[in-house]
Amino acid sequence: MDNVYKFDMMLVGITLLALLFLVGYVRPLVISPLNDYETSDSEILFSIEKADTLLIDDNYDFTTPREYNIREGLEISLEPGEYYWKAVGILGSEIRMLTIKSNVDLRIRKLGEDSFGVVNGGNVRLNVDVYNGTELVDKIKVDVGEENSANGDKFVGGMDDE
Amino acid sequence: MNKLLILLIGIFMISSVYALGVTPARTTMDFEPGLSRQVGFEVINSGEQDMKIVLSAQGELAEYIPSTTREAEILSTEKSKSFTYDINLPADMEPGLHTADVHIMQLPSDYSGESQILATVAVVTQIYVYVPYPGKYANAKLFAYNANQGEDVKLVFSVISAGEFDLTSVRANVDIYNKLNEKIDSFNTKEIAVASGTKGEIVYNWKADVSIGEYRAAAVLIYDEGTINLEEIFTVGSKELELQEISVNGFSLGEIAKLEMLVENKWSEPISDAHIETKITNDEGDSVSSFESANYDIGALEKQVFVSYWDTAGVRAGTYDAEVSINYADKASKKNLQFQVEKNSLTVVGLGYVISNADDEGEGNGLVVVLIIAIVFLVLINLLWFLLLRKRLKK
Repeated sequence: MDNVYKFDMMLVGITLLALLFLVGYVRPLVISPLNDYETSDSEILFSIEKADTLLIDDNYDFTTPREYNIREGLEISLEPGEYYWKAVGILGSEIRMLTIKSNVDLRIRKLGEDSFGVVNGGNVRLNVDVYNGTELVDKIKVDVGEENSANGDKFVGGMDDE
Repeated sequence: MNKLLILLIGIFMISSVYALGVTPARTTMDFEPGLSRQVGFEVINSGEQDMKIVLSAQGELAEYIPSTTREAEILSTEKSKSFTYDINLPADMEPGLHTADVHIMQLPSDYSGESQILATVAVVTQIYVYVPYPGKYANAKLFAYNANQGEDVKLVFSVISAGEFDLTSVRANVDIYNKLNEKIDSFNTKEIAVASGTKGEIVYNWKADVSIGEYRAAAVLIYDEGTINLEEIFTVGSKELELQEISVNGFSLGEIAKLEMLVENKWSEPISDAHIETKITNDEGDSVSSFESANYDIGALEKQVFVSYWDTAGVRAGTYDAEVSINYADKASKKNLQFQVEKNSLTVVGLGYVISNADDEGEGNGLVVVLIIAIVFLVLINLLWFLLLRKRLKK
């Protein structure tokens, strides 16, 4: 009789262990990016297995998530900010956080006698003050990846408020 | 956009340039009386050259950023260099936003030949300090996401609790108006609480059982001690052009093929100056051909044939990936297809259904099968033991 109860316990134990293993086996395998990942690169490469959908939101409750179908080499372009993300398959993954740091990258090149090309190589819209000597002569906005021309000899670029 | 940026940076590589960067572009913090904090930032040596920089603080909060003004050197081998500054806030400040700019200015180098362009570049890293309003105070924005007829229009109220105390009750009353300014629906959202200094969202899915067109959501956000009026325009029925069919008559490899692309305007208003761009790539992702149609106007809810010409000289028989992009206004509707090219025929694969990645689906389905088999197996073993074998052993 004791042996029967022992076998009862053993079977229940093995069943529970097997269920735990299965839950672990089907849970999405989230490889990268790591939790609390910080970068100033707007293109983020996600590496996820055993999941169908990637959800990204700026709040932990995922009230208005962006959804992406998961595939190999999934690269997503995100604006600067803090994001929460998780993968969803048969089960959901842990929630991870990533931060895209805002990045000002101002480049100028000579176009003509007094004219310069002003390029925004960063990931935020730029507000560029153009000076001639100490006098403020122009204010230009330059979108990400774009070039505008301006006349001056000093260029001060910062993140645009809008 | 990225290609444009790479092109521009490429142009820079062969031009006389000044380049300077800083990250983060902005640091934000909540006010605390007498707070002292060290703020870090990184100066990026985008031009990869030896340079001298000078740091200085300007703006309203500059007086609380002591001894910022200093010079530093960055070597061409350093891609970036970290710096910090201290900010010592006073005991009391007016409610709202207070800012300062930390300027990083590249000092003009000594004259060194033709590359000298005699200009100065400076970049700015900003600091934003938010001082809470007395009592309870909310800032809010309304976002409305367009939807097709019969689907849900998502209305999102983003609420920031900018006061000293938590907001315990935030909700909204919303009226929906059509283009004739007639009220067609009214509803209340659920209620949420938002802790001081945090952001909360109220999401309401409004069923768009209305005709295609433009609508206006006029909302009153009601929080503990005040109200905020918000408005947002949205559309029902997407302003969308859809590629329906591509037909090619008399195709002969090596000659110019005429592709007739049938496009439907699913919007209730005409769309003008639309054109189709087709990019064809081989297995390795290398570009094979790229061609564009002329510009066309399409009437509301009508169909139009766009004609494109593909010069197939030098193209070999085989299967190619084709990205067909309908460009209109500031939008692009893209479709990924396959062109199966033979000597006397061109077959377009992928229109009318979604080409899915069979490998991905296989993985998902495989997991479900493994899970089901394992659970069924465990259930059977338990049933077998507890209902059958155990009783026999007891006897």
